[in-house]
Amino acid sequence: MDLPLGQYWRLLRTYLRPQWPLVLVVALLLLSGIGVRLAGPPILRAFLDRARQAEPLSQLTELAFLFMGLAVLQQIVALLQTWSSANLGWAATNALRRDLALHALSLDMSYHHAHTPGELIERIDQDVTEMATFFSQLVVSVIGSLLLLVGVLIAFYLVSWLLGLAFTVLSLTGMAALYRTRALAAPHWAAGRRTSAELTGFVEERFAGTEDIRSSGAVAYKMHLLYDIMRRMLERYGAARVNGNWSFFAMHMTLMVGTAMGLGIAAIFYLQGRVTIGTVYLISAYTGTLAWPLYDLTHQVQEFQRVGGSIQRVYDLYSTPRLINDGPGCTFQAGPLAIEFEDVTFGYVPTEPVLKHISFRLEPGEVLGLLGRTGSGKTTITRLLFRLYDPQAGSIRLGGEDIRIARLADLHAQIGMVTQDVQLFAASVRDNLSFFDPTLPDERIMHAITELGLHEWVSRLPAGLDTELTAGGGISAGEAQLLAFVRVFLKNPGLIILDEASSRLDPGTERLIERGIAQLLKGRTAIIIAHRLSTVTRADKIMILEEGTIREQGDRRVLMRDANSRFHQLLRAGLEEALG
Amino acid sequence: MSSLRIVWSLMCFLPRLVVLATLVFAVTNFAPLVVGLLMRAFFDRLSNPLGATPTIWWILVLVLAIQTGQQVVFAFGNRVSVSLEFSVAALLRRNMFERVLQFPGAKALPASPGEAVSRFRSDSSELMLTLSRTINAAVASAAALIAIGILISIDPFVTVVVFVPTSVVALLTRLVGGRIRTYRRARQGATGSVSGFLGEVFGAVQAVKVAKAEHAILQRFHQINEQRRVNAVRDSLLNQLLYALYGGTVALGTGGILLLMAAGMRSGRFSIGDFALFAEYLSLVTGLPFQIGALLAHYHQISVSYARMLELMPGSAPQDLVKAAPVYVTSAPPPLVHPVKTPADRLRLLEAHSLSFRYPGGGGVAGVHLRLPRGSFTVVTGRIGSGKTTLLRVLLGLLPRDQGEIFWNSERVVDPASFFVPPRAAYTPQVPHLFSQTMQENILLGLPEDQVDLAAAVRLAVLEPDVTVLEQGLDTMVGPRGVKLSGGQVQRTATARMFVRDAELLVFDDLSSALDVETEKRLWDDLFALQEATCLVVTHRRPALRRADHIILLRDGHVEAEGTLNELLRDSQEMRWLWHADDTH
Repeated sequence: MDLPLGQYWRLLRTYLRPQWPLVLVVALLLLSGIGVRLAGPPILRAFLDRARQAEPLSQLTELAFLFMGLAVLQQIVALLQTWSSANLGWAATNALRRDLALHALSLDMSYHHAHTPGELIERIDQDVTEMATFFSQLVVSVIGSLLLLVGVLIAFYLVSWLLGLAFTVLSLTGMAALYRTRALAAPHWAAGRRTSAELTGFVEERFAGTEDIRSSGAVAYKMHLLYDIMRRMLERYGAARVNGNWSFFAMHMTLMVGTAMGLGIAAIFYLQGRVTIGTVYLISAYTGTLAWPLYDLTHQVQEFQRVGGSIQRVYDLYSTPRLINDGPGCTFQAGPLAIEFEDVTFGYVPTEPVLKHISFRLEPGEVLGLLGRTGSGKTTITRLLFRLYDPQAGSIRLGGEDIRIARLADLHAQIGMVTQDVQLFAASVRDNLSFFDPTLPDERIMHAITELGLHEWVSRLPAGLDTELTAGGGISAGEAQLLAFVRVFLKNPGLIILDEASSRLDPGTERLIERGIAQLLKGRTAIIIAHRLSTVTRADKIMILEEGTIREQGDRRVLMRDANSRFHQLLRAGLEEALG
Repeated sequence: MSSLRIVWSLMCFLPRLVVLATLVFAVTNFAPLVVGLLMRAFFDRLSNPLGATPTIWWILVLVLAIQTGQQVVFAFGNRVSVSLEFSVAALLRRNMFERVLQFPGAKALPASPGEAVSRFRSDSSELMLTLSRTINAAVASAAALIAIGILISIDPFVTVVVFVPTSVVALLTRLVGGRIRTYRRARQGATGSVSGFLGEVFGAVQAVKVAKAEHAILQRFHQINEQRRVNAVRDSLLNQLLYALYGGTVALGTGGILLLMAAGMRSGRFSIGDFALFAEYLSLVTGLPFQIGALLAHYHQISVSYARMLELMPGSAPQDLVKAAPVYVTSAPPPLVHPVKTPADRLRLLEAHSLSFRYPGGGGVAGVHLRLPRGSFTVVTGRIGSGKTTLLRVLLGLLPRDQGEIFWNSERVVDPASFFVPPRAAYTPQVPHLFSQTMQENILLGLPEDQVDLAAAVRLAVLEPDVTVLEQGLDTMVGPRGVKLSGGQVQRTATARMFVRDAELLVFDDLSSALDVETEKRLWDDLFALQEATCLVVTHRRPALRRADHIILLRDGHVEAEGTLNELLRDSQEMRWLWHADDTH
């Protein structure tokens, strides 16, 4: 295991401390369970010896009832134990899930560009679920097993020091074997878990893209990829189980020797007349009892190896650093904000710059129309403004403040964005608009909808704001864009970015919400990215990007009149197309 | 489908492993029987003053030998169990996966992809142990019956002590069966909600960041998690309660046997060896009700998981989920066979009559006719939500049509979903999905590179300029769902994927929404230059409308008007509304 032991303790401390009363209950129940287990064999010995001595049946009946009572008690303890450790396990893991989800959400987009949602489901849910026993039982159980082991050994010493010594040596041998074989399976478990994550990521992505797979005739191909993953799963989990079994095998062998040894010694004692036959039986029964803690320990050690991989992966996610961090903080003034890019160079891969030495300035309340071929870097500019990425060189200022000084939450609060593809949740229209913020009143939502001129569209929905959007169904891609406009309206930011925001709307609907958009842009700075020239008619300034550099920028009206400008050419091409 | 039938189908699927597992469990379950008899001999010899001492040592040696053998078999059995478990999971998963992929692709899964994944992963895992548990319970019951037989030969009263608790347990499980299923369903459902929500959040992570919604999202997440905690604890507790009740009945049985023995030993009918034998068999015999009860409870639980998995396969018969099929968990599958275009695939005329489809929540298309002769260019247009995408999907079988007939060269198409695939038809959806592989793998999707014209497809999709800019060209990893590419690049990669399939019919939805003016122009020009291609296109774009041979104008799911652009502009108010809105061009 790569993780230092201290990290395990830290995890345990962090997530168990708030649950200390439950931890206490679990520990107490465990101890009482041990007591009940140790009490069984002496009762049987007394029973046996008395039966041999032909004592009255009533005494024997008492003992039999005592034994039954103990067994029932054991079940009650087990029931309470399940309740407390299940609650403890879930409470601790839910807290961990929440922290992990928050951390993962705060990670940079570059992280999310390399990890599928399915992978994150696997880590935040499946891996953490694997850890439930680690939190609720593992440590307590190990301590419990050790206590039980000591208890049985003491019982042996009480019968005879020779027996006690023999079984002490035996137990130590067993634990040594366990120590030697403990780590054989760990790498295989880790490999197995990785394959599981791969399976989840694979399937999640494919389930989202069934339409593409089906219509491309690629079903058989995807089946092949699935077979490949499943084959590796069997291979890896098989190796893990086979290797993990060595510990059990070693322990079995040790205990077998122990059984024979115990019976042998007891037989000799009996033949020498030193013990009763009841004691012989007691020794045999205690040998059986000794098996419990030793098997439990084996099981716990293997369990630890098994979840070790999950803990490692959770820890890795937890310690993945954010590359983009909060600045010391600053306050943005209310109202429209100026934007300034100064010699900004950026590439998703540093050696492949997507933007090269970009400088421009936008005054408060101005609207910039951003044009250029797809892949020319338009969307990247907006991502930099959000600090979804940081440029490799140059600086960006919003409202006069370097955005690296601002706290990310403050920065994000200033900017609203509508993109071409809108992601929706399988939830009500209301939750989709408010992003699950329960404090947002319906009046505000309806107000935003009315302002955008969408009142009629919403009233056509079967249950208004309560209409549930189902995954992959419900509303069209164009209608989703309308929702995105409402989202931005609700946010009320000082800067608005429309990135191909109406590309999926038909021209008629686009015109319908034009007044709404004008309302939205009023008193705000805005960047409008469009392939279609009609969309940038409301822009004050125009900037045309080409392969990451600014090909042309200037006042829209000036460029429009300048017959040599690129903008003018584009307009002419568009006009020709419209007329031709 | 009853759990027993599920188990039986799975057994028939893996006969060899089932036989092996039975042998393994037989050894592990029957060995204690022999050991018990040996222990009786040991104690009887020991307590008998005339007993031959050397034999007791031999007995101990024999016990050692048997237990060693048992362990060796157990180690081998581990391997068998793993194969058994993962073969079962693989069969369930392959059947689900295949069915989901074959299902009308655009119809919503009954769950979000994240939730579907939870059914795919967790619910199939619930059935992994079912075969081992069933076989073990069967063999253990047989061993227990033999043990009971031996005990009865010592004292017939033992029957009552064993069979009364067994019946009690069986009855108990039957009584709470409904509750077991309810609780399990709630638990699995809650688990699905957790992964479904995570999937959506991380699929929309940029939107969440941009909306600054992290905290509201987390609050919701915690709610869902707590919901699951309550459900999971309740489920575990019921399980443990059952076990406790089984354990309680077992304890009663044990007490009964103890009293039996006490009476027997007092009367001298019982030797100390008999006592040892009873003690050794005690857990075996009294454990029988426990084994049976636990298995019955497990059957209730798997029936829930089975139903949840079936929900991912709408329209399938219950037995389809366990239908035997090769799973290739131990050897590689045979290489893929790629369809080759035959003269019969050649499109002369595609016709569709009164295509209709209604979404459960309302909306859809009704009574649409289509006529696409070879080499024609047909445009479907209309305002948002008018049913354009739905129409394409219904034609291609990506949504199940409620009504209507489709004819390919005047031959009826029975199952459009499996008919409209390459080399007959290829499709670029409005919002294409790419997968975490390289750009080239995303375009080819398994097609052999040497048998297709990849370069031509890339050129036709106007993807060439992008490929030359990307440092690793076509080998660039596109990231989850293609996020590393720009929106336009994703769309053009999907377009290349359509072109490389060299299909007779090309269907594309809103292709130009992510393209700039010049790229779009090149694309249309190249497309119209393809004389052989028959195209069905959803678009609002003027160049396409102008050059279309035929335009179908949809409104609220009905054909509002159709004809050439000039005819429509002359006759249709709706067309004029759409067209002149774009006048600012």
